[in-house]
Amino acid sequence: MRFSPVLFLRRAAATCALLALPILLGGWLSGPQSTFDVKGPVARTQLDVFYVTVWVTTIIFVIVASVLAYATIKFRARGPIDKNTPVPDQGHGNPFVELGLIGASIAALVFIAVPTLKAIWYTYDVPNEQRANAYEVNARGLQWWFQFEYPAEQINGAGQLLTGNELVIPAGRPVRINLRTSDVIHAFWVPKLGGKVDMMPNRGNHLWLQADEPGYFWGQCAEYCGESHAVMRFRVIALGAEDFAAWVENQKKPARTVTPVNDAPKAAFASYDMTPKQRNSPGYTAEFDAHPFAAWTALQFPDKDEDTTLITQGRTLFKEKNCITCHSIRGHEGIGVNAPDLTHFGARSTLAAGLLENSKPNLHRWIINPNNVKPGNKMYVGVNGMAGYMDVDPATKAMTGKVHIAVNDTEARAIVEYLHSLK
Amino acid sequence: MATATLKSADYTAPHAAKPASRPWFFTRPSAKTGLVSWLTTVDHKKIGLLYAVTALIFFLVGGVEALMIRVQLAVPNNTFISHQLYNELFTMHATTMIFLAVMPLSAAFFNYMMPLQIGARDVAFPRLNGFAFWVFLVGAIVLNVGWFTRAGAPDVGWFGYAPLTSTAYSSQFAGDSSTDLWVMGLQILGVSSVIGSLNFIVTIINMRAPGLTMMRLPVFTWMTLFTAFLIILSFPAITIALVELMMDRSFGTSFFEVARGGMPILWQHLFWIFGHPEVYILILPAMGIISEILPTFSRKPLFGYPIVVFSGAVIGFLGFGVWSHHMFTTGLGTMATAAFSLATMAIAVPTGVKIFNWVGTLWGGQISTRTPMMFALGFIWMFMMGGFSGVMHSAAPADAQQQDSYFVVAHFHYVLIGGSIFALLGGIHFWFPLVFGRIVSEFWGKLSFWIIFVGFNVTFFPMHFLGLNGMPRRTAVYDGNMGWNSGNLTATIGAFILAIGIGTYFTVIVYTYLKGKKASGDIWDARTLEWSVPTTPPPEHNFHITPTVHARDAYWYEKTHSIEIAAEKAKHAQEEESHGGIHMPSQSWFPIVTATGLLIGGLFFTHHHFLEAIAGGCVMLLGIIGWAFEGPGGYHLHIAKDGTVTGGEGQDEAGH
Repeated sequence: MRFSPVLFLRRAAATCALLALPILLGGWLSGPQSTFDVKGPVARTQLDVFYVTVWVTTIIFVIVASVLAYATIKFRARGPIDKNTPVPDQGHGNPFVELGLIGASIAALVFIAVPTLKAIWYTYDVPNEQRANAYEVNARGLQWWFQFEYPAEQINGAGQLLTGNELVIPAGRPVRINLRTSDVIHAFWVPKLGGKVDMMPNRGNHLWLQADEPGYFWGQCAEYCGESHAVMRFRVIALGAEDFAAWVENQKKPARTVTPVNDAPKAAFASYDMTPKQRNSPGYTAEFDAHPFAAWTALQFPDKDEDTTLITQGRTLFKEKNCITCHSIRGHEGIGVNAPDLTHFGARSTLAAGLLENSKPNLHRWIINPNNVKPGNKMYVGVNGMAGYMDVDPATKAMTGKVHIAVNDTEARAIVEYLHSLK
Repeated sequence: MATATLKSADYTAPHAAKPASRPWFFTRPSAKTGLVSWLTTVDHKKIGLLYAVTALIFFLVGGVEALMIRVQLAVPNNTFISHQLYNELFTMHATTMIFLAVMPLSAAFFNYMMPLQIGARDVAFPRLNGFAFWVFLVGAIVLNVGWFTRAGAPDVGWFGYAPLTSTAYSSQFAGDSSTDLWVMGLQILGVSSVIGSLNFIVTIINMRAPGLTMMRLPVFTWMTLFTAFLIILSFPAITIALVELMMDRSFGTSFFEVARGGMPILWQHLFWIFGHPEVYILILPAMGIISEILPTFSRKPLFGYPIVVFSGAVIGFLGFGVWSHHMFTTGLGTMATAAFSLATMAIAVPTGVKIFNWVGTLWGGQISTRTPMMFALGFIWMFMMGGFSGVMHSAAPADAQQQDSYFVVAHFHYVLIGGSIFALLGGIHFWFPLVFGRIVSEFWGKLSFWIIFVGFNVTFFPMHFLGLNGMPRRTAVYDGNMGWNSGNLTATIGAFILAIGIGTYFTVIVYTYLKGKKASGDIWDARTLEWSVPTTPPPEHNFHITPTVHARDAYWYEKTHSIEIAAEKAKHAQEEESHGGIHMPSQSWFPIVTATGLLIGGLFFTHHHFLEAIAGGCVMLLGIIGWAFEGPGGYHLHIAKDGTVTGGEGQDEAGH
């Protein structure tokens, strides 16, 4: 038989489709941000609407595609055509067929429209009957990290409870999230719990979601917001009622202070790898990925082998290197408001806005050269006219190219130890 | 009515009385070949080719940008390019493909084919037509010049959402002008599009051949008309938005400046009131091309012509009422979300109607699957898929998960590549014999189609799953633990297959242009007037004799009623000769001079050198003054019985 490229390509495509099916059903729809693996009522409602659209369009597709394929094959010219070949009937169409098809299309859309309208109202805000039970938090987007504010948890003399990049919520309760931004537009998106809503300047947006069970969820900024948009990520941790209350209670406490003990430095203190990492090298271990919730839970308690001397040194360095002008550490020296509140930093599972697992080598990597981890970040380039690691010309607000803050390995090691002691 | 132009009583010839002597700078250039002929041309066919070549070059530039994006995303946490460069690439890929590739390529077809399809000798305002092209080129230069500066190319996204575009957030360092270049470039491109569109509208309304009533217009001409109306109605919105943004950035106003009470949401409304009709500006010309190819290769009229035309109008109309579906996540509130959701679903109806009618056109025909037909059939399949994922977006709650994810990227590439690009590539094959008198090899044409078709699907089909699996757009890196690795790698492999397909396509086209098989006349047994030209490529004056129209598919009718038509045409020839012969427009230097002034002014303005910018403005003004005072120009051609053409620029006295 003669080799036909068309036939060959068709067969190859069919084979590929068959081989691809298990991949699709297996890995392609079950990631940590899958919109199919829903864990709450809002995401579930959105998925249900999506399925309705899929079914309606699939049925129409099968019908139209079959007719199209049939027509293409059935009415294919037999043999070559030239001007002398008798022409087919020059029909201009049939108005009844046309109107019928228009009517059928409109009917099909009604199937989609009804559940769509219901879901628009349901997903917009916490349903009335559950409003009394809802927990309220504020999420604020900044280039390129998230601040979470707990208006319900006021701390005596220090305002509301603040966390950075990790939103801890009660499971089984609706959570209303007020969305704010301090600079450009960002979007709050935790696919397993619900679709995204933008954080718009001069606009009081909100969304609601609910986690059915305790769990650890991936979220990410979904509106392009500048240079490091790709690495502006966050986590949502849902806890049972008791665990949540305990977490809040701990978070409201001022930062933990470690008293130096006159011991020799512990052998473990320098045990991590400090060799510089390549740009964009991954920030997660396989163990963390496998059990993120367990990893988060383990971080809630102080390390057993803390180096108290190093922690004290780190606290001094944190002040001397000017970190305190931007970072708050309640009860310690930090008083800044431009950067994430680090009062309980050691109890967070990620750093640099969800980009890296909060391990000592990762924190070291971040402190030594933040621009290598997250290009253009404000700790490096400065923020609101204040210099970061790089010097800033106060007039033009442009970087002068001079170094303003330098941190060496020894200093970074002490700061890492200090920050990790803040449970 | 078009017939009126033939009554000699209405006819006056201002050019007949030529001033005895004019200053040298008012002398009309007369070169018909060489560089000067291209720089000063007013011939719609030459301008069409200028558009086409420029657009195809930018299509390849945008393609290279896309490939760099795909290489970066091939593996997780890749270090191939920096975040900053990635952001510049996706901004410029979109801007280039929309404004510098698909729109001008559509404009190329409008320019070349529309006057031929309506039996006209040129567009209504030939010099303005040249000006539209040169202004387009200026805009393209301004947009891309950033690549060669320290600031780099624009990096705010093709949608440029405020307040990321404000000086506070979009300047990496003092003097970063990339966003200013983006604003100025788009503004200039808008000028070009509006000028071109007004020209097409006036041409279609006024210059149709005798007997060519509106409901006999070829569908491609109808779509040209709708697209032109969409452009003149939608571009003012973005023009206003860009002026406001420019004022904010250059003169410290506060339309979008949050700190001074500006409203960033205003930008989004203005942008998408332009941006959604823009989607139809990109697809309606493609639908027009498909509606020409399908009947020709089915040897049957378009099924339901009035409904196809009317649905084009409905799409254009509804296209202005659905802009906020790009903004479902901005917190519109329930009622607005519901309204825009339903309006978006409604627009699926006229779009679906077109698909039904194309299938109806095939039904009962004699389908020959030549290369243009392959692209047309590929268009229907791919456009259907893109249309269905579009319906999925219209359901706002589902869209909350899809918005700004790769699902959207998959959707609009199915519509823009599977739709617009497939149709435009098919259109090139379809009209290539007419424009160049050569025909593309069937084997190589089909091979390039199949590689493009496979590569396109391998690239973009997995993106549906990436998006539903939570991968956001415009992200330079992703982690390896998100389940996106194999999908991205597949897409990157597909992108290279697609690139090979496009490479094959253009190699074949260039080869055919240089050495391809000669083809002359009506090789497809076509149906519309552009195929009735006396020679391929068509002569400068398009038709020896103005055609006469008695039916839709005018040329098809002419082929079966040749004696009747010949008699009427002989009458036309006589009338035309009785008032001086075939009247042709003179070439002019002033369109390109005026555009050059715009380039100088634009570039200096974006860098805040206002004095030099004023100098550029003076050059522009000089061009406009010269344009106004060089006179209407024009000359006559005469066709002898044997088809020889006499007459030309400056020979009118001798000719009479």
